[in-house]
Amino acid sequence: MLFKTLSKPEFRNLVDLLLGSTEVIAPKQIGVNNDGKPLHHYLPVQEFEEIDLEYEITEYSAKSYFLPFRENLSSCRFEDDDWTQEIHYRLQPRVLMGLHSCDINALLKLDKVLAGDRFPSPYFISRRRNTFIIGIDHYPCEGGFCQSVGADVVTHGFDLYLTDLGDRYFVAINSDHGYNVLMQVDAKDTTGQDNKDYLEARQRIASKFEPLNMHNLPNLMDIEFESEVWKRWGKKCLSCGSCTMVCPTCYCYGVDERVSMDGREGAKVKQLYSCNLLDFAAVAGGHNFRADRETRLKYRYYHQHRGFMETYEEPLCVGCNRCGRVCLAGINPPEIIRDLQTEDQV
Amino acid sequence: MTELLHPYDITQEADIMQPLDFNRRSRLKHVDRTFKSEIINIIRLTEMEKLFQVRILDDTARERFSFRPGQFVMVEVPGYGEIPISISSSPSHKGFIELCIRKAGLVTTILHKARRGAPIGIRGPFGTHFPIEKMRGCNILLIAGGLGLAPLRAPIFHVIENRSNFKDVHILYGTRQPSMLLFNYQYEEWDRIADIDLKVTVEHGDESWTGQVGMITDLLDEVDIAPKETYAIICGPPVMFKFVCNRLTKEGIQMNRMFVSLERRMHCGMGKCCRCNIGSTYTCLSGPVFDYWTVLNLKEAI
Amino acid sequence: MKYLGIEPEVLKIAVFDFTGCEGCELQLANKEETVADFLKVLDVVNFREISSVEGDDYDIALIEGAVTRGDEITRLIQIRKQARLLVALGSCACFGGVNRLKNVLDLNKVNREVYGKDPKETLPARAIKEIVPVDLEIPGCPINKDELERIVQHLIWDIPFQFPVYPVCFECKQRYTTCIFELGQLCLGPITRGGCNAPCPAGGLGCYGCRGPAADPNYSEFFTIARERGYKKKELDEHFNFFGGFEGVG
Ligand SMILES: Cc1cc2nc3c(=O)[nH]c(=O)nc-3n(C[C@H](O)[C@H](O)[C@H](O)COP(=O)(O)OP(=O)(O)OC[C@H]3O[C@@H](n4cnc5c(N)ncnc54)[C@H](O)[C@@H]3O)c2cc1C
Ligand code: SF4
Ligand code: SF4
Ligand code: SF4
Ligand code: SF4
Ligand code: SF4
Ligand code: FES
Repeated sequence: MLFKTLSKPEFRNLVDLLLGSTEVIAPKQIGVNNDGKPLHHYLPVQEFEEIDLEYEITEYSAKSYFLPFRENLSSCRFEDDDWTQEIHYRLQPRVLMGLHSCDINALLKLDKVLAGDRFPSPYFISRRRNTFIIGIDHYPCEGGFCQSVGADVVTHGFDLYLTDLGDRYFVAINSDHGYNVLMQVDAKDTTGQDNKDYLEARQRIASKFEPLNMHNLPNLMDIEFESEVWKRWGKKCLSCGSCTMVCPTCYCYGVDERVSMDGREGAKVKQLYSCNLLDFAAVAGGHNFRADRETRLKYRYYHQHRGFMETYEEPLCVGCNRCGRVCLAGINPPEIIRDLQTEDQV
Repeated sequence: MTELLHPYDITQEADIMQPLDFNRRSRLKHVDRTFKSEIINIIRLTEMEKLFQVRILDDTARERFSFRPGQFVMVEVPGYGEIPISISSSPSHKGFIELCIRKAGLVTTILHKARRGAPIGIRGPFGTHFPIEKMRGCNILLIAGGLGLAPLRAPIFHVIENRSNFKDVHILYGTRQPSMLLFNYQYEEWDRIADIDLKVTVEHGDESWTGQVGMITDLLDEVDIAPKETYAIICGPPVMFKFVCNRLTKEGIQMNRMFVSLERRMHCGMGKCCRCNIGSTYTCLSGPVFDYWTVLNLKEAI
Repeated sequence: MKYLGIEPEVLKIAVFDFTGCEGCELQLANKEETVADFLKVLDVVNFREISSVEGDDYDIALIEGAVTRGDEITRLIQIRKQARLLVALGSCACFGGVNRLKNVLDLNKVNREVYGKDPKETLPARAIKEIVPVDLEIPGCPINKDELERIVQHLIWDIPFQFPVYPVCFECKQRYTTCIFELGQLCLGPITRGGCNAPCPAGGLGCYGCRGPAADPNYSEFFTIARERGYKKKELDEHFNFFGGFEGVG
């Protein structure tokens, strides 16, 4: 990887250049909650001032820019009792700025499922390759446990990655795209002092994490498959799917088709779905393979921390704890994992 | 406006431009493209089930299409939905495939209304298959309950067409009532020409029923099983295959020589939507055909 | 329009309004882009919002509004006899709707307040299903036009229609809305049937449950959540009783 430094004014020039050339999505404060805490979303911005890179965490992840909540997989034109199918992929480039390491790691995990494997998804790949990603280092967010799942650092999956060194940014460059864009402004070669400052900044960040005991979790999940822990937490679940919607790694969906009222056009619409929803595994004829809340909630954790591990040797979860924060019932991974760890140890 | 970022046009990728390889291994393709196909014939089997003969319209695509017994396709009625259906015809048969479809909900109901000549869409084939090639030189038990005969028909055709490759072949089939028997017009053919032992039973007979009445496991009592050289393929509801497989295990057949086809909700067929997950296994990729040992090891499988 | 080799039947449909705001009926007529097409597939008899044809020959009866008067009961029974399919349209027809609010008040007093010196006969507001069997309920205040169009398409093809089973929260999240609870208000979203696309929370107002309960709602946890956040029974009841879809909950 190549590294450069960028003074804060030059960084602003870079952002202005990008703003002038393409759509830019960045963290933006949209208000405060009842306790006066600022709320941030990744939203399209027009001006540098709208961007808030000091944000702690966004309520929603950036996944919907790659996996929209609803997406047309294909459209259909009907004519004379016949039809023609059309497929379009999103081709417009855009910049996604201010992603934290967990969110970039989340994209890398999505890449494994959606860009690799036997059936790579052109819908996803097209969006992914057309998105220029600028990440940024930050202090741990409250309740997050990214370090415990190894998602607090990134080595790829972005174009540029910034670390704030006070008067300047330390910039990691991970693509020729990133290099070319950075060369539009006055980026400096790194000095020994820069490296030293960068490593110190990283150390400061690393020292702030509170570790969560993830030891042997996949096996633990198998052993505790019938555990009371699931009953206790499952009883609380509203089966609302909010956790899945804000999660940066949950990717599953349902497909629905519809016809326009004049009967001339049809659309095959993919809608992100959640395994916590009642009919996730329901089939025709009335059978539901996961009819109660408890099994559905368990399954979500199972997929995140056990199932993905089996296939890709790492958990799907990147520890952002967005699901825990959004859940009205207070269901959250750190507490569930702690409960699982302690259930059978007196 | 300066152009800093250049659009990446995925449709220009060489991979995506190539004609679709139906086993689509590790290649970027228009994976969600459906192949327009014509319903060339509809055969009413029972009140609830119809057999659809479906032909892919594009000549080259049709030529390239091939499948293994036990695989399924995603059948699309544009504007109404897409559903997984097992291919119910002979794998060696070119030209058209047969799909036996039970009226169950939205898409299946509208399919049951469709007329001959109607254009629908097909994607696939997807999923694992019954490893018939491994069964060469052995006895085969083909056991179906209810609609399970639909996916079983592909291996039955294969066995009939390659009869000399196998030793004793038994087809055991059971349904609830005589009126629910599928493909009864073919029983005589299977029984006579192919030197296959066919046994049919129903749970509840009626006035005109002269055949056997009882459970599918009763039929097993009449079969001499040589466990060391027998394979079994079982299709039917979970309760049924559980019973049958346990019984066969007692007879001494190894669990990894029994194959079942599992049903789950499916929205993609490609390991993306997660709807078909059993624990952490994708039914559409690692299944629908599993050996029984694997099924027992899948958390929440039965 | 021919499809799959079949020309679907044009349905004879009649719309009747009982006691309601007629907002739902307006929904039928108000989506300009599609209303013409909507009418092409339906043969509308008896529907004053968009056509003046009146007749008594229909297969499907859409009932809008709740039942609040004696003559309405007779009329409803008559309609039930004639209709092959009777559809309750909107929250008033499905649950009694906002009209139900008056049930908890003194009816005579209400009557005097509303009609002054010239009071009308009035009974407690009742849902259609409390009087005659209903084949299909389409809740919403007002109903969601897109959903209605889909339902009509399904009726035309005579294929089953399924409402979403998930609660409002799910679609609320898909709109990037900040949770109303976060902003310090009560919202029935977690237990209310989705499908409306959560317009109320998006507009900054908690859901009042106009679509009735979601499939398998988790009431006990919902009450815990509300209690923990300091909501009193009175506030909860106010929400629950607003449209009448949560009869007996609370
Ligand atoms: C591998 C496999 C092979 C199958 N083979 C056959 C066959 O040969 N013949 C046959 O009649 N049926 C078969 N089925 C079952 C068939 O897919 C369902 O009956 C069908 O999906 C019901 O769709 P629907 O729209 O009519 O029902 P609805 O209840 O209206 O379903 C709505 C949607 O849910 C999904 N869905 C519902 N039930 C199922 C289900 N059981 N499996 C997968 N998705 C479902 C579909 O996406 C469907 O569009 C098979 C299922 C699988 C998984
Ligand atoms: S865990 Fe929480 S957010 Fe997720 S479905 Fe259950 S109640 Fe909703
Ligand atoms: S955890 Fe559930 S919602 Fe998330 S990706 Fe897995 S199956 Fe989908
Ligand atoms: S499961 Fe929860 S903590 Fe893990 S990545 Fe998803 S939202 Fe973040
Ligand atoms: S605002 Fe209401 S509907 Fe939306 S997420 Fe919060 S509780 Fe659910
Ligand atoms: S958010 Fe609630 S009150 Fe608003 S339309 Fe939807 S169900 Fe009705
Ligand atoms: S059907 Fe979508 S993952 Fe298996």
